[in-house]
Amino acid sequence: MAGRKGLVINDGQMQLIDGVLNKLQRVTGSNFVALVTTSGQPITTAPPHADADTLSLAALAAGSFAATRQLAQVLKEREFSLLFHEGRESNLHVMQVTEQILLLITFGRETQVGRVRLYTGRAVEVLKPVFEAAENTSGDEQIVDRDYSREAGTAIDAWFPGESDG
Amino acid sequence: MALINLAAREINYKIVYYGCGLSGKTTNIQYIYRRVNPSARGRLVSIATEEERTLYFDFLPLSLGTVKGLRTRFHLYTVPGQSFYNASRKLVLQGVDGVVFVADSQVARLDENVDSYLNLWDNLMEHGEDPSNLGIVLQLNKRDLSSIFSVADLSDLLNHTESPVIEACALTGVGVFETLKTVCKQVIAKSSHL
Repeated sequence: MAGRKGLVINDGQMQLIDGVLNKLQRVTGSNFVALVTTSGQPITTAPPHADADTLSLAALAAGSFAATRQLAQVLKEREFSLLFHEGRESNLHVMQVTEQILLLITFGRETQVGRVRLYTGRAVEVLKPVFEAAENTSGDEQIVDRDYSREAGTAIDAWFPGESDG
Repeated sequence: MALINLAAREINYKIVYYGCGLSGKTTNIQYIYRRVNPSARGRLVSIATEEERTLYFDFLPLSLGTVKGLRTRFHLYTVPGQSFYNASRKLVLQGVDGVVFVADSQVARLDENVDSYLNLWDNLMEHGEDPSNLGIVLQLNKRDLSSIFSVADLSDLLNHTESPVIEACALTGVGVFETLKTVCKQVIAKSSHL
């Protein structure tokens, strides 16, 4: 298994990523596009302030995708690299970008699945090298430094309520 | 694996509550959900059986607010404790930053605690995780019950990393926030050494 790796996304990378997502949303006519990590954390969405619970969506999509990969192993298939949920009004398409990144796209019945699959595949080709670079970044020591740790510690003490007998 | 999004000025940490079936992992999360400021928490998502036993995971996102210009979030997960759900436990551990091992203090649950503890280390090793990179807390739950092990005995068995040990009664909330604060501080301290 791969060792522990950080994921640090800088401004330039994020501009490029957001540009790809916005274009993907436009050309596919989809409702919502999101990038999340395979551990269930949201990265970004298009449109940026979508009316969706992205935190829950990220956790559930990552869980669903992880289970699908295990299903592939059980069935002795090398990989199931995409996941598709068909609903009455909308559909969800999940595709793997890298070992750590998933691309989510939701679209209505008026959008053709083939169109979504074609353009999503092209978007993944552009996004893959960007995230591979971000996954190899180890510049987080400058961000999560001693000052950050101290301030966060104070915030944690102040923020969570004190012990209670319920 | 803490996710740092410099463009969005955001940092996310993943904390997993681990332990044997019925040790109180979901009870911890439910207590936190009830008591924390609603503006600072997201939806509590539970994938459970009809008997309300965890089938896959519970998930609760918490926002600490902005620290040094970075919006800081903790994503809390539980795993299903029952032994036959190991495939699910392994998946939930992916990308973990901190672990709370919730032990059931009752004498009768000793074997289940030890099995679950060994299973945790097996699964972390399979993910290639170095425990020294993780925040780890041992919570000794159900301290209000009779016929329980001493803190020293349980620590000997379930704490070879010499992590902080916190006594708790998750049903009434005793020790729940102390556990959460401790593991949150640990994951932040450890993330600067990724």
